[in-house]
Amino acid sequence: MSVTNLILVTLLLTFLYFVFGRQKAFAVAKTSGGLQGMHSLPSHYGAYVAVWCALPALAIIVGWKLFEPTVIDSMLASSIPDSVHELGEKSVALYRNEINNAVDSNNIASLTDPVKQATATRLASLQNSAMLGLFVLVLCTVIALGVFALKRITPDMTARHRVESVVRSFLFISATIAILTTVGIVLSVLFESLRFFSQVNLIDFVTGLNWSPQTAIRADQVGSTGAFGAIPLFTGTLLISFIAMLVAVPFGLMSAIYLAEYATPRVRAIVKPLLEMLAGIPTVVYGVFAALTVAPLIKDIGSAVGLSVASESALAAGLVMGIMIIPFVSSLSDDVITAVPQSMRDGSFGLGATHSETIRKVVIPAALPGIVGGILLAVSRAIGETMIVVMAAGLAANLTANPLEAVTTVTVQIVTLLTGDQEFDSTKTLAAFALGLMLFVITLVLNVIALYVVRRYREQYE
Amino acid sequence: MSSAAEKAFEELKETVGRVTVDNPKMQAKNVDVFYGDKQAIFDVTCDIGKNEVIAMIGPSGCGKSTFLRCMNRMNDTIPSCRVGGDILLEGDSLYSSSVDPVMLRARVGMVFQKPNPFAKSIYDNVAYGPRIHGLANNRAELDDIVESSLQRAGLFDEVKDRLNAPGTSLSGGQQQRLCIARTIAVNPEVILMDEPCSALDPIATARIEELIDELRENYAIAIVTHSMQQAARVSQRTAYFHLGKLVEVGETKTIFTNPTHELTENYITGRFG
Amino acid sequence: MSNNTTEKVRASLQKRYFKEKVFRSIGVVAIVASLSFLVVLLGSIIYKGYPAFKASYIQLDVTLTEETLDVSADAEDSELRRANYLGAIRTALRERFPEVTKRGDKRNLYRLISSGAEYALSDFMMEDRSRFGQTHSLWLLADDEADALLKRNKDLTKPIRTGENAKNKDALITRLNTDQLGWLQSFKEAGETDVRLASTFFTNGDSREAEQAGIRAALIGSAYTLLITFVLSFPIAVAAAIYLEEFAPQNKFTDIVEVNINNLAAVPSIVFGLLGLAVFINYLQLPRSAPVVGGIVLSLMTLPTIIISSRAALKAVPPSIREAARGLGASPVQVVTHHVLPLAMPGILTGTIIGLAQALGETAPLLMIGMVAFIVDIPNSVTDPATVLPVQVFLWADAPERAFTERTSGAILVLLAFLVVMNLTAVLLRKKFERRW
Repeated sequence: MSVTNLILVTLLLTFLYFVFGRQKAFAVAKTSGGLQGMHSLPSHYGAYVAVWCALPALAIIVGWKLFEPTVIDSMLASSIPDSVHELGEKSVALYRNEINNAVDSNNIASLTDPVKQATATRLASLQNSAMLGLFVLVLCTVIALGVFALKRITPDMTARHRVESVVRSFLFISATIAILTTVGIVLSVLFESLRFFSQVNLIDFVTGLNWSPQTAIRADQVGSTGAFGAIPLFTGTLLISFIAMLVAVPFGLMSAIYLAEYATPRVRAIVKPLLEMLAGIPTVVYGVFAALTVAPLIKDIGSAVGLSVASESALAAGLVMGIMIIPFVSSLSDDVITAVPQSMRDGSFGLGATHSETIRKVVIPAALPGIVGGILLAVSRAIGETMIVVMAAGLAANLTANPLEAVTTVTVQIVTLLTGDQEFDSTKTLAAFALGLMLFVITLVLNVIALYVVRRYREQYE
Repeated sequence: MSSAAEKAFEELKETVGRVTVDNPKMQAKNVDVFYGDKQAIFDVTCDIGKNEVIAMIGPSGCGKSTFLRCMNRMNDTIPSCRVGGDILLEGDSLYSSSVDPVMLRARVGMVFQKPNPFAKSIYDNVAYGPRIHGLANNRAELDDIVESSLQRAGLFDEVKDRLNAPGTSLSGGQQQRLCIARTIAVNPEVILMDEPCSALDPIATARIEELIDELRENYAIAIVTHSMQQAARVSQRTAYFHLGKLVEVGETKTIFTNPTHELTENYITGRFG
Repeated sequence: MSNNTTEKVRASLQKRYFKEKVFRSIGVVAIVASLSFLVVLLGSIIYKGYPAFKASYIQLDVTLTEETLDVSADAEDSELRRANYLGAIRTALRERFPEVTKRGDKRNLYRLISSGAEYALSDFMMEDRSRFGQTHSLWLLADDEADALLKRNKDLTKPIRTGENAKNKDALITRLNTDQLGWLQSFKEAGETDVRLASTFFTNGDSREAEQAGIRAALIGSAYTLLITFVLSFPIAVAAAIYLEEFAPQNKFTDIVEVNINNLAAVPSIVFGLLGLAVFINYLQLPRSAPVVGGIVLSLMTLPTIIISSRAALKAVPPSIREAARGLGASPVQVVTHHVLPLAMPGILTGTIIGLAQALGETAPLLMIGMVAFIVDIPNSVTDPATVLPVQVFLWADAPERAFTERTSGAILVLLAFLVVMNLTAVLLRKKFERRW
């Protein structure tokens, strides 16, 4: 007995009711002057019955599962010994954890303490009866509602309208999920950030030059507050993004110009998908490439010419990130350049301009807003890129503009702070959410501006 | 097309009327144009005289624009396009290997159907040609060229206070005059105009037509037009094209009052087109 | 005056054509460079990764007796399974090289064979109990350092690149010492080494020992995660696209939804990870490291991609078809389900596959929800702790052993193979069903 099985059984019953509903409709039609006399098609009546069965049942399952843990918790509290309760919330949680694990792995016998065994047995039986209760409740509901809906099938019943309004509500709800996602992102990040800023001053966070959250592992340690000055992270992010754009913009833009203006259709048909392959490679692969191939190479070259290069230099991460972004810049610029009307090129050619003069002095200036928009999108992507920097940039929060040194970025710190077994409420983990908030806001602003610019540009030439 | 006209077209071997002039600026000799396998222009021979406006008329798709675009090698930008025969500018072939299209287009300017100002200021639009060709030695000279070009295009008084406004902010008629100013700023010898007024209202059209008449003093002008009235108003000679062939050339007056060929007559009298 | 123009233009021509040439070649250089980045990237991965699909074996005569295994012939199955197979292997090694007597040397000798060999030996024994009491000639998995040399077919008589040979390009880079190289060479000369296709790479889960580590667990984890992603994102995205394209009224709310979707598509993936951590793991208490949470997070992430491409596909269906259906009295829902949706389906599926390919390669948000655990066991359901292929790549790339580098690249090759297949499917789908209206 599991929720998956329950859902499967519900769906099976729903299907059966669909068939019943359809047949009932045929039967009703026979006695009341044929199918022409019915308001809707038989399958609409079937769907009507099915909707009556499935939706309430699924709602019950979801609701039950949401409240079950709380109810079981309070019922179990009595069987947890007072000695544990006296030790405070944390030990209750620990105790519960042990019991839960034993029950989940179906291995109550592994608990040596008889008191614990008793609790575990009680938990198991509570869970079992909860499951049983849910099963019975859901099945009864499905069957009863199905019978009820079948009874309502008459020639005048507007089954199609009702089913279609359900369908349309589903469509509408699906469209709002995108908004819910954004709201979810904003709320979750904002909520945790506010908790962070109740512990660390916002001004210190935004203007502080020193980032060392590692000292804040335990509250009773010396220097337990840690240092949460985010400036080195921002400068590190900017440095790497800047290097990336230095690679991506010239290569991407010139590739786009060549493909859009000079290349024959054949060359274009071959080169464009190849460039897009660069965009399809997962970022973790670029990370491996940066960490295992490019970084050692740069270090070797550096030591050959007598420069000291950190093994996790900003240069390596930035270069590889730039390569990753080339196709992004080139395909956006390509779209923008091809959108410049041919008549403008003709005007320039007609005056005796060479092709490159036409491109440099007429096409590019005309396409500039769109290109800038595309570059802003690329910058936003560079800032938010995670895997390359996690693997190839360092953890040390150096405040430097030297690309040969190691720097760290916002995304690297988020990953470092949140992976591993940290307690969720520590200042450290909350700091990750504050960084996440900054990241979200910055990229959002860039995206909104970029999308607006690009859209305005498109409208101009449509 | 009536079957009689069809027959007349089939039988057309040679252009009717006098295709040459005494004082030619440009001479097209037996020009054929192909797009891939499709032939668009058949054996067209026609002169353009100095200081004259020649109008090219004909139903849509008759090849008049294609022919016009051959005269400053704008068709070079279309990869599948091939030109046979020869076109001479002051006696030199345009299509010989020694002729440079950039050079040629500086001498033979073009104004397009749709006004196509660059995404630049009015000033920069006009200054574009002189700048790329290096015609002005300093800013003052450039200013002079821009001002005189705008003046000759009859636009200066309307825009002199906003030379830095974008070219696209002008009205359609003004934009087209801007494009004409842009063309004459390079000081070409011939100006080709491809239906320059088709996107404009009657008032703007009248203004452009006046301008064309004034420009005739200094330039040889070939104008493709859809409107017979316009051809009658601005041109000295008229060439009638039909399905890629040049049917008849002659004095504008003669063509419109007393056409020789049946097809020309049909078109002039509005039986098709 | 006109002559003046001609002169000046002629004077400028040479310089201008030179500039034209330069500009054009810059374009060619940019493209060639971008493509060579691709070649170098793929080349370095293939070069480093292909040995991952090979494994070296060493042949040993292993005696399975009461003496070597420490169990009697009539022991219970469970007892026999846990017998001292390591001891048997070590005895076999000592017998193969009787001259090795010092304790330290023996320990070095033992290191030539993978620590996983005892489990293979145990399985071999349990397959057929009658093997007890006999000596068998068996191929055992070599340890990673030996493996690295054997499968690249290195000359084992060369010096090791340390000390005086530090600059010798010809010398071997290995952690083995000269004694170990000598024994290995002896195996090799006797024809007792073999390089085979590494089936363990596909059948094992992760392991601390590089030569035993495989991608099975990660593959299954990826499959579960992708399944959840598909089940959630496909219906919701298509429904959202239909709503926006066919039913949405022209109002503020619709505008907000549209802008929102476009922006969501550009939100950094790691932010979705934060959402998953805060909402699904901390608030809703879903299990950490589980494909179900990974799938939910990835489906939220791929929703915008699929919605945008589905809308494009729906938009491409000409209005005349909608009008025709409506003219016959079909309801708006029927117009969509009977006519528009089937015609747009190839485009929608193409977009979905591309979205899923993105999800398959995604790493960062999964790190946030704890899918970075060290997973040896193959996950059995969507709620079991699991990892996915790109995260496995990330984990191996971090491992210090050299042998993990090739595993990393090998796993990348498998990942890329899946991505290529998915994208090719999308391209073919588009080609096959592409309709020009």
